Parts: sequence; structure tokens; C-alpha cells
Amino acid sequence: MILGFSIALIIFSLLAMLLVLMHKGKGGGLSDMFGGGMQSSVGGSSVAERNLDRITVVIGLIWFAIIVILGLLLKFE
Amino acid sequence: MLTAFARAFKTPDLRKKLLFTLGIMVLFRLGAHIPVPGVDFEAVMFCVDETKSSTGLFALVNLFSGGALLQLTIFALGIMPYITASIILQLLTVVIPRLEALKKEGQAGQAKITQYTRYLTIALGVLQATGLVATARNGSLFQSCRRANEIVPDGSLFRITMMVITMTAGTAVIMWLGELVTDRGIGNGMSILMFVSIAAGFPGALWAIKQQGEIAGGWGEFIAVCAIGLAMVGLVVFVEQAQRRIPVQYAKRMIGRRSYGGTSTYIPLKVNQAGVIPVIFASSLLYIPALLVQFTEDKTSGWALWIQEHLVAGDDPIYISSYFLLIVFFAFFYVAITFDAEEVADNMKKYGGFIPGIRAGRPTAEYLAYVLNRITWPGSLYLGLIALVPTVALVLFNADQNFPFGGTSILIIVGVGLETVKQIESQLQQRNYEGFLR
Repeated sequence: MILGFSIALIIFSLLAMLLVLMHKGKGGGLSDMFGGGMQSSVGGSSVAERNLDRITVVIGLIWFAIIVILGLLLKFE
Repeated sequence: MLTAFARAFKTPDLRKKLLFTLGIMVLFRLGAHIPVPGVDFEAVMFCVDETKSSTGLFALVNLFSGGALLQLTIFALGIMPYITASIILQLLTVVIPRLEALKKEGQAGQAKITQYTRYLTIALGVLQATGLVATARNGSLFQSCRRANEIVPDGSLFRITMMVITMTAGTAVIMWLGELVTDRGIGNGMSILMFVSIAAGFPGALWAIKQQGEIAGGWGEFIAVCAIGLAMVGLVVFVEQAQRRIPVQYAKRMIGRRSYGGTSTYIPLKVNQAGVIPVIFASSLLYIPALLVQFTEDKTSGWALWIQEHLVAGDDPIYISSYFLLIVFFAFFYVAITFDAEEVADNMKKYGGFIPGIRAGRPTAEYLAYVLNRITWPGSLYLGLIALVPTVALVLFNADQNFPFGGTSILIIVGVGLETVKQIESQLQQRNYEGFLR
């Protein structure tokens, strides 16, 4: 049980990382972070990007759930 | 002021953005409380309690992660990997010609640099997570704690790998949350998340001061610290807003029958053009030697001892002076990177602008550089002095290094706060409402 969830956690963690990296970076560098830089509000994202968002949210939620379950399992082992 | 807030919530799209940002903040704080599987949370909490007063190596990183680091939660690394990655890339753009070319390319190049930053963030996340889990496993994360060895009950390779990968995924998720805020919320996501994690430490730290205090059951110290904090916020806002306006006159041009230009504007040169970045650079750099010591086998060799004695504690004269000097240096360095006087002068010449009394072209560039240089001196000294406030507090109130109104945190809080409020305001003004700041 624990082993299964551990393996699932590793897989979903890797998936989450991959999905996040597949997004186009919207962050902007350090100078954007603390003042400076103009606000480029290029609204609207493509369909692909929106689907990617959805998949990422779902994977993130599963990842989160696995962490909670695994934590509880280990606690009451 | 308050009515402006009410109006901000009455505007539908602004309300949506604000609520979205708040939701992400809640998610972020929630994740910062969920321990990584494989960690004995009770032992961790015990150790955090026991070693609260002695801050050391991880103090700054712990501050940036809002206390999540020492609790070994899934968001333990916070945004520190992203900050470090951006710093590294920022410095590398000066060194590596290819990156410099990308930067000059404009938007497309900038996007590519951002993508590199993201990859580097994940790499650094793996590195820092490994370091953190390793120190937690061998019990040196909390050196003086009795139960330090119970933190990771099962130290097998499989379990450790799982923990490292989970933490790295946590870093990736944080990065994504930040980008979501930038994209759909208000303000810059990364800085808002940093704001949240720093602000999260405030109530606890203030309460600790009240607990330790003696005057009137601790309320005396509590009120004094709050008053000092408010005064400092006022001071920081004052200096952050301070700017020198260099007048620029644009020549009138006739194109066909219409005349263009002929307006007079100004170039705002801020006193503290670099913002908080020098402070972050300096503290990250000073953190490296201590980190090196952590990874060496022989902790009693000469240089390791010297570093532990002089570069770890925040109240050592060598630490203080090198911190100060580094901040001043980075303030100039960063202004030099971000504000290119020649480019500004060139652009002005191209569009027929000039500074009254100064010829266009090279003299203008020289004048701009001269003024900027003069103005950055007080700015950098101010940054250095503000950053030293926690040290003073350390002596005066016997507070720990993460003193709530410490320099780094107050600069970041005020800087991010001002920026965000300005952004909300510009959105409000698009709809012809009065803003917050007058």
C-alpha cells in the first residue's frame, strides 16, 4: 500500500514538473519582480495553453491528494 | 482610501483578479503546512520549538519560505530556487554574449531567458531539496535538538528519493502558482508569493517579542516595536517614491499637415533605482560560504572555523561590514545593468528630444550617467543602512535575526506592496475612478 502510493507520488511529481515546464513562462525576470518594467497585458491564451492548464490543475490535485494520503498512511502505520 | 478598496471590489474584472490572487495565496499557505511524507512531523515541530532562538545558516531561506523550510513541508523550498535562478541568469547576461544578445532581442529573447530561468529553477530545486533532506536525515538541520535524529524515521534510498522529488515538484508548483498570479491576478506573482511568506512570519515574531519582553508584561516592547515598524514603513515608502525628474523637451515636427511632438516631459530617476535586488543579491552571496561549510566533511579546519565564526552570525562585525559593502556595490552594479544612459540618450535623439541646456547625443548620456551616479550614492547607503536594522534590533530587543521589521523583509514588503497597489490603481483609473495614492 505504502509502496504503491510512494511510486504513484514519484510519478505524479515528475508529471507535475513536466507539465509546469511545458507552460510558457509568464514570470518575467527579476527586474519584473521588484518594480520596473512595463506591464504587458497580452490577454487571452491559446486553446492548447488552456487545456494544459486544466491538465496541470488535475495532476496537481491528484499529487496533493496522494501526499495527504501517504502522510496519513505513514503516520498510522 | 477605504472607499477606493470598496470600488476595487465593485469593478467586476478587478474583483475577479483580486479574488483569484487571494485564492492562490491561500493555496500557497496551505501547502506550506503539509509535511512531506516520510517526515515525522511531531519530531520536527518539537525541534522547531526547541531551536527557535538559535538561528543560523537557514535563517534567510527560512524567512523567504515563511517558516516552511524548517518544517520540511512540501513547499519547503519556497520561491528561493526561482530567485536564485533569476539572480544567476541576471549575472550571466553580463558575462555570456549569447544571453546578452537574447536580452537585446526584445520580447522573444526575454521569453527564452525566462524559459532558461525555469529550467534552472528545477535544477536548483533538486539540488537544494537534496541538501535539505540530507541535512535532515543526518540530524544536522537542528543541531541542538534532542530528537533531531527522529525526523526522518526511514532513511532508505527509495524514501529519500521520493522526498527529494516531492519537494522539487513543490517548487515547480509554486513557480506555476506565481505565473498564474502574474497572468490572471494582480501584481507580479513571484513577488506576491514572497510577500505572503514573509508577512506570514510577522504575527508569530511579534508575539515572541511580547512574550520575551519585560515592560508591562511585554506590551511595552510590543508597542515600541510596532511603532518603530510603522515609522520605518513610512520612511521606506518616502525613499522608494523619491525621484529626480530630468526635464525633456521634444521638438515640434511637421509631418504633412499635422504637427507632432512639442511636448515637454521628464525622465524619472529614482533615488533607489535598484529596489530590493541588491539586498537579496548580497544576502544570497553571503549565504554561500556558510553553505559550503555545511557540505564539507572536516568542520574543524581553519577556514571552516573562520567562516562559522565570522560569516554565519548576523552580529559579527565582519559579516555586517561585508554585507553593507556588498549591498552598496550591487546597488551600483544593478543600476548600471538596468539603466543604460547611452541608450536613453540615443532614443531621445532619435525622437527629437533634448534636455534643456545640454546638447543631444554624448553630452546627454554623460549628464544622465552623472546624475544617476550622484543619486545612487544616497540610495545605496540607505539600502545598506535599512538592511542593518535587524542587527540593531538584535542588540536592543534581544530579538532573533528574523526580527519582523528587519531590513530585507521590510524592503520587500513595502516594495511589493507599493507596486501592487500602483497596478490596482492603474486598473481603477482605466475606469475613471480615483485611486489610492494621491
